[in-house]
Amino acid sequence: MRRRIRVLIAKPGLDGHEAGAKVIARAFMEAGMEVIYTGLRQTPEMIVQTALQEGVDIIGLSILSGAHNELCSRILRLLSQKGLGNVAVIVGGIVPREDIPILQEMGVKGVFGPGANTESVVEFVRALVPTE
Amino acid sequence: MEKKKVKTKKTAGKRAKKKSTYGREVLEKFSSEHNRWEEGPLKERLCGEIKPQFKTYSGILPAETKTEFRTGSGEFIINRVYTPLDVADIDPLDDIGLPGQYPYTRGRDPVGFRAFRWPLSFYTGYGSSEDAHERYRALCAAGSTELSLAFDLPTQIGFDSDHPIAEGEVGKVGLALDTSADLQRVMEGLPLANLHIGTVGNCISPWVLAMFYTLGEANRLDPRQMRVWLQNDPFKEYTGRGTFIFSPQVALDLASDVVEYVCKYLPQWDPQYNCTTTMRWGGSTAAQEAGFGIANLICYIEAVQRKGIKPEDFVPRLNLHMTADNDLFEEVAKFRAVRRLWAKIARERFKTDDPRVIALRITVFTAAHKLTAQEPLNNLIRTTIQVLASILGGVENIHVPAYDEALALPTFESTRVANLTKHILNDECFVGSTVDPLGGSYYLESLTNQLEERARYWYDKVEAMGGAIAAIEKGFYLQEMSEGMYRYQKEVESGKRPVIGVNKFVLEKEVPIKIFKGNPEAERRQIERLNKVRLERDQVKVASALAKVRRVAEAKTAGREENIVPSILEAVRAHATVGEIFGLLREVFGEYRQPAIL
Repeated sequence: MRRRIRVLIAKPGLDGHEAGAKVIARAFMEAGMEVIYTGLRQTPEMIVQTALQEGVDIIGLSILSGAHNELCSRILRLLSQKGLGNVAVIVGGIVPREDIPILQEMGVKGVFGPGANTESVVEFVRALVPTE
Repeated sequence: MEKKKVKTKKTAGKRAKKKSTYGREVLEKFSSEHNRWEEGPLKERLCGEIKPQFKTYSGILPAETKTEFRTGSGEFIINRVYTPLDVADIDPLDDIGLPGQYPYTRGRDPVGFRAFRWPLSFYTGYGSSEDAHERYRALCAAGSTELSLAFDLPTQIGFDSDHPIAEGEVGKVGLALDTSADLQRVMEGLPLANLHIGTVGNCISPWVLAMFYTLGEANRLDPRQMRVWLQNDPFKEYTGRGTFIFSPQVALDLASDVVEYVCKYLPQWDPQYNCTTTMRWGGSTAAQEAGFGIANLICYIEAVQRKGIKPEDFVPRLNLHMTADNDLFEEVAKFRAVRRLWAKIARERFKTDDPRVIALRITVFTAAHKLTAQEPLNNLIRTTIQVLASILGGVENIHVPAYDEALALPTFESTRVANLTKHILNDECFVGSTVDPLGGSYYLESLTNQLEERARYWYDKVEAMGGAIAAIEKGFYLQEMSEGMYRYQKEVESGKRPVIGVNKFVLEKEVPIKIFKGNPEAERRQIERLNKVRLERDQVKVASALAKVRRVAEAKTAGREENIVPSILEAVRAHATVGEIFGLLREVFGEYRQPAIL
């Protein structure tokens, strides 16, 4: 049997718009993945700690406040410090186009803006996480 | 005011008491004609058989595109056509009536937009105080007399700009304010005496009040002469924006303090805008927006009443702050229905016929969540219709998000065109020239009735679980929103709900658009300035002012009734920071943890 993909959906920083985070979380669940949702106002430390405890394969960060560069860089740094460099990170929210290469350079695997199709995000994650 | 019987479901059943627009004879005649039409021309048209009388088309007649047509928020089925039969139950006097008369279906003002002189207004703010100052100066120079200040997230949640959790967020979604000196710098040289200013700060509203108050003092302007609006609606933070600090009960108490203080001392200030926009944007239907909004408003009003203030002394200054979505007719029906439902509920609840209490004031911020990042210029069409719905629905004021909002913070140009939409519709298209122009329309009156009934259902549901605070704490609002949002997303992805440029007529290439870029230096500069204020102020004064805030807060937790505004005003005058004030309030009241609901 295929192992189920474990996803952490997190809202880093102070941004409180969580509609997008909830929609994608439900789409992942319907696709048969296990989803942990952090709720609002998580520090990078809290998110990485949860990722460690829950043994997730992938972290989906939802950011609409414009603080994506700072938050992603802190989270990715912490992940590699904790030996979680293999956990893939994807970002959803409002990210200006010119910032996408900056996030990718940091190690973010995918960036999804408004209007992104949940099916295609699910496919993207399936391709990222190898399961037997 | 003339006493009228409040219509309930029971009395609605007694046909004899209700006067229909049409007499029995007319209705019977229409009914048989309608049957003939359904059995004849309609049936023939639907089965696709081309009779000579339909030979307007060449070839095969197209079938209807859907088996069922529903309103934008999905709660109501739309009939093929509406006739007098659909409004047979509607009493033209008791249900529709006249503008400015109970039940206010047609508006709270007898003359509507015929008397309206729209100001130029903008919701904007970003970066450090210098950046924001530049933008505000430009807006004032361009004729704006109304400014809405947007604060960044650390400010809205009561954190100083150098708090660890604020890193990367300073000046991002609005301007950063730590002390009264920041606001002074932002507003320096602006024509404060002529400006109508305000902000959406909700959980920090006693502090916001104090900030504007001291701004007036610092500019030798009597705060009582200033025109300031405060959103002061903490409930919206638990149901959408997420910038809550304390439990809903504590937040309600602080919000009521602000309403009380404003009503007693600040005659030209608007103390509260009860906001339903974020619930709608987060997935609620139109009827839920109306029903939940009324439930929240009742909760706020009763909290202020418990302070011994009569509804007629403050309700006239409150606003229901709604949104206007894309379904033109559903939105017009919603505005008419919410006024009528409010009039009935408020009359019963507050035992009054005072029109200032039972005639609802509505402010609109149109549907930012329906703006698409794909082909953003298409959003101009959407916002135009949303503004049209607001004008036809007879609301008191309209704010419009910029077409590039789905991409980033708006530019000067996009903000300006957003504001001009209502002016063009009113001045050039004459849509506000008569009051409630859609009143009496078969479809609209029928939909208004359905909306009122459904809004009543949602309102009753919230009341049955214990009111607005229970609905927040039990996660009821969030659950309903979450369901709606997911349903919507699935409909868009399956193509069942067309969104032009997103799932229909999709353009291969992206349209280039100018996007406003924030100042990366804002955070550093803001922290430098904050440290300077911390060093230069009178520390003894700060400590004693903060101690007083703590005493009042502790008295509140001990169940003693004391307004927190005067002590916070003193702390702001002494240059205490937002983080110091809310840091100690966090210690006293504790912080709210929202249940993570999927």
